[in-house]
Amino acid sequence: MDAVFIGFLGLGLSVTFHVLFTAMTLGVGLISAWSRHMAYKTGDPWYEVFARKTFKLLIVSELFSGVWGTIITVFLAGFFTALLTLATNTLFIPLAIAVASIMIRIPAIAASWYTWGKISPRSHTMLMWIMALSGFGVPLGFRAIFAEINYPHAITYYLQTGNNPGFMPYTNPLFWTLYLHTVAAVISVGGFVIASLAILDRDVRGAQLGVKLGFTLLIAQLAFGPLYWLSLSRYSPLLFNAVNTTYAPILAVKLVTVALLAVLGYKALKSLETSIPGNVKWLGPLALLAVALGEVLNDGSRYPNMVLMDNEGLPVSLFANFYMDIPLPMVYMILAFLVLSIVVFTVAAYYAIYRRFIAEVPEELS
Amino acid sequence: MDVEPLLRLSALGIYFHAIYISLTFGLPVAIGVMLWLWGRTGDSEYLRAAKLMTMVLVVNFALGAIAGTLVEFGLVQVWPGVNLAIATFAFAPLALELIAFANEIAFLILFVVTLGRVRAVVSMLILAVYAVFAYFSGMLITTVNSWLQAPWGVGPLAKTLYPFMPEYGPLAVDVPKLVAVKAGAMAMGQPLSILVQQPGLAEKVGIVLYDPLVAMVSPYAIVSIFHNILAGILIGMAIAAAGWAYRYYKTGDPKYLKLVKPLIIVIAILFVIQTPIVSHFMGRAVVEYNPTKFALMEGAKETFNNPIIALIAYHDPNKPILGFDHFYAKCEELGETTIGDIASALGLGVYLGALGVDASNIAGVKLKDVCIADLQKAERLMLVVHYAYYAKVITAIIGGLAAATLFFYFIKVPALNPLAVRVASLLGDEKKRVFLLTLLVLAGTVIPAVLGWYVREVGRKPWTVYGLLYPEELATPVPYATSWPFLAFAYLVILAVNIGGLLALYIVATRGYKFLELLKRGVS
Repeated sequence: MDAVFIGFLGLGLSVTFHVLFTAMTLGVGLISAWSRHMAYKTGDPWYEVFARKTFKLLIVSELFSGVWGTIITVFLAGFFTALLTLATNTLFIPLAIAVASIMIRIPAIAASWYTWGKISPRSHTMLMWIMALSGFGVPLGFRAIFAEINYPHAITYYLQTGNNPGFMPYTNPLFWTLYLHTVAAVISVGGFVIASLAILDRDVRGAQLGVKLGFTLLIAQLAFGPLYWLSLSRYSPLLFNAVNTTYAPILAVKLVTVALLAVLGYKALKSLETSIPGNVKWLGPLALLAVALGEVLNDGSRYPNMVLMDNEGLPVSLFANFYMDIPLPMVYMILAFLVLSIVVFTVAAYYAIYRRFIAEVPEELS
Repeated sequence: MDVEPLLRLSALGIYFHAIYISLTFGLPVAIGVMLWLWGRTGDSEYLRAAKLMTMVLVVNFALGAIAGTLVEFGLVQVWPGVNLAIATFAFAPLALELIAFANEIAFLILFVVTLGRVRAVVSMLILAVYAVFAYFSGMLITTVNSWLQAPWGVGPLAKTLYPFMPEYGPLAVDVPKLVAVKAGAMAMGQPLSILVQQPGLAEKVGIVLYDPLVAMVSPYAIVSIFHNILAGILIGMAIAAAGWAYRYYKTGDPKYLKLVKPLIIVIAILFVIQTPIVSHFMGRAVVEYNPTKFALMEGAKETFNNPIIALIAYHDPNKPILGFDHFYAKCEELGETTIGDIASALGLGVYLGALGVDASNIAGVKLKDVCIADLQKAERLMLVVHYAYYAKVITAIIGGLAAATLFFYFIKVPALNPLAVRVASLLGDEKKRVFLLTLLVLAGTVIPAVLGWYVREVGRKPWTVYGLLYPEELATPVPYATSWPFLAFAYLVILAVNIGGLLALYIVATRGYKFLELLKRGVS
């Protein structure tokens, strides 16, 4: 395998992992903040405990999703120098929005967890909302890159005129459908993941809440998904054709997954009133699978191209790093260690969430 | 474009990052000491202290990660010319840093989740693995920064332009290609990233660097790694010690003094390694590889003799301290050579053609004039770098003396213990003297680090990559990056997040739980 392909594969792997973790944490963060808000407003202790339980998922996974974000940047800079440089010079504003959001989001998560019970419930609720909402600024910035590599609207303007396009990436015809699709997806995934965990904990009320949210946003996704797919047919025909031909089997699996999610979600919604259906535990994994497949379709199916311009593609090699022979053994070693980190993370998540090693009520230390 | 506002913005981000990194480096040692004592004595007070410091470590880690993200994005977004370095010299350290960062987080989460649930020795083991990855991360980032200070692998390239400079390791680069990229940017009057962003350019230019690992074998990097990591550990531990000493001062509870003691012992030992030994080698590296920085530190406008400084710097008391007069004289040796002469000698025409750049507008520029102009820019920084350096040295000595006093105050060494007790008693009762001496130790680690970093970064100006590239060549071409709305937005976010984050750290470290009734009711 040559360095260009390894770079594309590594980039794809890291984008997929990053998106998987962020999909989970953005939705879960919103649910947790809302529950905290409800606890503050109603004084119902169930909401407080539910907010705390859902937050556990955040604290173990958010930083890890951030790691994969960093991995993406290093892959881009190391393997696709021209692409990253072009993106930073062109999409300066979207990237600044994303970075600012990350800067607010991550410390807000840590602060929310460790100040829980130490600052007034009102201040803590506000902090939780800042944490939850700042997360949605991250895709508001980064999805501009994805829209631009599918349909280089602002980049074309920049390369033709030499002027920075400012906010123009937000007038890219693919951007808003992609962004809204992302927002709906992450909330839906968050809901389904929470439902799965709640049902394992035999928390019917939590499962109901998760399924309701997951299912409602899944319906919204059923509008944004096809809309995005149709937009691709007009603005990114190469990608549209690849998705429907070479990558049709993956598209089919994704559609089946979504259909299954809709059916199981609907059944769960109906039966949770009276009983605890066992298949609710599969909603979270199915939702995550749908996200991963969607990302493979949107990003992977462009290969061997990186940027798509109508019926023409700019090959990955045009953006690749040829300034030195990239030492591939080192790249393999790095990928092996990244796998180790995933294993360690999974062990930690298992102990934190299933074995309840993170306490619901914090321990007094002072 | 005036890049000064961007330099200040980046410096602010780097300084905040440095605070968190210090805690990231120092707290694992402090926590490890507490866990070891807990395992040995079974005293749960040590476990409680370890848990509280772990809380601080996690919030701090989150802040360090976002400040690091800012630095990273600062590099690629505000200084996109650096992407060329990331694709070449910095590729190996940054790629390996992924291993460090991912595993650092994974093991930190594992440590947090299992602390108090597994035996002390297991916790210490997980913490040690976490710390190894954290220090490995620090090593790699320091390697990249060191390459900017002493661009290892470019051999005599910088010396050709500035004859007073040394050679930087073996020649691992394709000189004509590298010079063509630099000349291309100069000729265009545009930042380097305008060239680097061109699709297909890398394939056209081809191999620039032959040895991808060359930056990692730089002697400047190796000594910087020890110097920076030890400094970080010292600061982090001093913050922890000062926190516990403050509690002892406020409450008079001897359990807090019990926590200060072991931390101070470790700090004093590390001080002895850092200040006279590692710092000396760091200084020697500066003398050898950053001649203008050393002259700025010593205020050497003119070459002068000082046997003490010469003995420390050169291990030869008779050697003069080279000043800017010597460097100017060296520039004159370049004679009437022009950039055009160099371009012809290296056959740059082919490469400039590939870049699509006409460099005829700079062909007549004399190398001597460039050399002198750069020295003049550097010389303007003399006063501030000189005083910053000596303030750093003096505060480090004060910190070292305070650490030694506390060490011998706690450890009964004949003659030294009574002396330390006598010195300490000048500061008041035991609560006060322990707290004040710990504060001096803290000041003696933080102030030298802040000033040291300032000297390290400002002292290499006017270059970002010493002897090779200016900040203007690496800056973003986006015009509004230096506009007041963007800068105001950036400062607002950086200050709000970091000040809020530091406040959160303080609350986590000092405040007890007050609002847990709802949670307790819910769980019960």
